[in-house]
Amino acid sequence: MTQMIAIAAAELRLMLRSRLALIGLAALLLLSGIAAVTSAVQTASASATRAAAQAATDEQFKTQPSRHPHRMVHYGTYALRPVGPLAAFDPGVDSFTGTVLFLEGHRQNSATFGAARESSDLVRFGQLTPAFVLQTLAPLLLVFLGFATVARERERGSLRALSAHGASAASILGGKVLALGGVALLAMAPALMALAWAALRHPGEGGIATLIALAYGVYLLVWVIGITAISALARTSQGALVTLLAIWAIVVVLVPRAAAGWAGVAEPLPSRVDTEFAIAADLRRMGDSHNPDDPHFAAFKQRILKQYGVATVDELPVNYRGLVGAEGERLTSELFALYAARADAIQLGQSARLETLGVLSPALAVRRASMVGAATDVATHLAFMNRAEAYRYQLIQRLNGLQVTQVSSADDRARSRDPLADQRTRISADFWKTMPQFQLAPSAPATRAAAMLPAMALLAFWLAIGVGLLWLARRNLDQTAA
Amino acid sequence: MPTPPLFIADLVVERGDKRIVDGLSLSLAPGEIYALLGGNGAGKSTTLFAILGFLERQGGSLTVGGVDVAANPDAVRRQVAYLPENVALYDHLTARENVDYFLKVAGCPRSRADVDAGFEGVGLAAAAWDERAARFSKGMRQKTAIALALLRETPLMLLDEPTSGLDPAAAGDFHRLLETLGRRGVAVLMVTHDLLGAADTADRIGLIQAGRIAREWTASPTVPRFDLNALHSGFASAR
Ligand SMILES: Nc1ncnc2c1ncn2[C@@H]1O[C@H](COP(=O)(O)OP(=O)(O)OP(=O)(O)O)[C@@H](O)[C@H]1O
Ligand SMILES: [Mg+2]
Repeated sequence: MTQMIAIAAAELRLMLRSRLALIGLAALLLLSGIAAVTSAVQTASASATRAAAQAATDEQFKTQPSRHPHRMVHYGTYALRPVGPLAAFDPGVDSFTGTVLFLEGHRQNSATFGAARESSDLVRFGQLTPAFVLQTLAPLLLVFLGFATVARERERGSLRALSAHGASAASILGGKVLALGGVALLAMAPALMALAWAALRHPGEGGIATLIALAYGVYLLVWVIGITAISALARTSQGALVTLLAIWAIVVVLVPRAAAGWAGVAEPLPSRVDTEFAIAADLRRMGDSHNPDDPHFAAFKQRILKQYGVATVDELPVNYRGLVGAEGERLTSELFALYAARADAIQLGQSARLETLGVLSPALAVRRASMVGAATDVATHLAFMNRAEAYRYQLIQRLNGLQVTQVSSADDRARSRDPLADQRTRISADFWKTMPQFQLAPSAPATRAAAMLPAMALLAFWLAIGVGLLWLARRNLDQTAA
Repeated sequence: MPTPPLFIADLVVERGDKRIVDGLSLSLAPGEIYALLGGNGAGKSTTLFAILGFLERQGGSLTVGGVDVAANPDAVRRQVAYLPENVALYDHLTARENVDYFLKVAGCPRSRADVDAGFEGVGLAAAAWDERAARFSKGMRQKTAIALALLRETPLMLLDEPTSGLDPAAAGDFHRLLETLGRRGVAVLMVTHDLLGAADTADRIGLIQAGRIAREWTASPTVPRFDLNALHSGFASAR
């Protein structure tokens, strides 16, 4: 053990005396510091903006003057996706998906299918966030600092000198892992502080933040172990560098991109335009509430008349137009729900495929764990969309209900000719104040922790692979000590 | 009978598909200085590698202080100080840091005063003690490595061409050092091409040829200790 620590200390001293190593480490710390600060500032302002906008839009809706309920159906309102508690650490898919949704009658609006365009690109490269620094840049720094850790000693003959002094292969490799691990820990520090800060501002998120930190710890440990093993297995340090850079490019860049592309091809999500055409066609088939000869609405009318035991619409005690509006909304919303469910299934399928592909790249696994933990994954986004749609439906049907019960058919018909009738069709402004507001809480930390488990298992699998590689390197060192 | 610091019987070592050491037998008593001579490529360094367990043996027995190298190489290496043919020092470390580090790895850290004394003993100029090894001459590296080997204070020393790179005065000093080692009971196996130096200090001189000790001379208690003419002709005929 003292031997291992001595070897680790010597490795750290070498890094301290290498200008390149210090510059590399300083650059990474600077980048992750910048990432932590800008990400925190951006998220805080986005969070404040969205909260303010939601409050403003709610306020606007509530302060509407007395109006005909159907005008309110078209007036609509907005639902803004609240910023996740740990989004400052890992904004996940937030940057690609819509966060503002316009809610109105008869329509399900853009942000719903806004994700469609981007979904094959959900795992996109870029954006300086603490999570990105840890996933992408930290391994690269570790590669540059560690590729020669054992290979250099072999090339200079000091590896044999070490074993001649009784250093076992295990303590040489252990010492190197310890030293590089220390650097990894240091490199993680700013990002972890960003995570801790986000968790502190949201009580109850501490446990999940710890789990996320653990995921990144395991991820970087896999790199540290892998780098040390490859450095020991490679014949030259140059060979080790080339191998490790290739592995980095494949594991961190290529596989995640290819995996996202593959998921998009294997489960193609129809484009938004196609979806809207399909919905429009289905709507036409379903029935036109404004056409008196339309078979669906003719049947609907018969059913209503029979229900109330009257012969004509005019004899109904309720406002038939309101009923038709509610029925129309029910039909279209059913259709929207159908299409949305299909799109959800496809997107969740894509995201499940990406998760499975974590067996090909620990970067995919840690990305998944991080987004799920931070509640910035696809599933969270879809939950927002569905919650917003449910809210929209509820709101619109409430308005239609007002028309059915509070607005008389006669007034409705005379509205365009008779200003007094028009006046009577207006619902008091007080009603708007009682409308429920859109609210969405992030899923419980325990739920997210459970959802992180598969990705955590994949990271454990990668750790096992790394340890296996290190074991191979140890055997190799023992045999080629000469 | 106490276990000998080094015991080799019928050693066979192959490298690639070549049999380099082939039936070599050699034992050292405590305090004995043995000079191993032989032409280039005769297998001298290979023999030292086998003792350290860097190379597997294909036959024979080999123990250091009674411990079989094949069974426990780390235990053997802890009681052997080895001066390699090509000294490897860390360029970014000073002579002192190099020595301190290897001593720590070996599990036998020494005080600053001891290290100073070690450097002094091998004649390393005081100015070089805290200078980075990157700027060292071959002789300075050699002296640093010899000081390190001596500071280990092991019962057995394996020295591969220890005087290579040393100036004549330093080589002379080194031979005096060896004698004090011998008196302290340290067994020394020294590979060398320096016939005169060997004759000056060794208790026995062995000539390795065809993978074994082909001829061996033992020092006589009277001066001259060795018949230099016999050594010369033996050495010449071995080529
Ligand atoms: N890595 C190796 N693989 C195969 N054969 C080797 C290897 N290293 C050395 N040899 C061979 O082993 C033989 C003995 O080499 P060794 O280094 O033991 O000689 P030596 O007696 O120390 O010579 P020198 O006086 O030049 O140092 C030589 O024939 C050499 O070619
Ligand atoms: Mg040699």
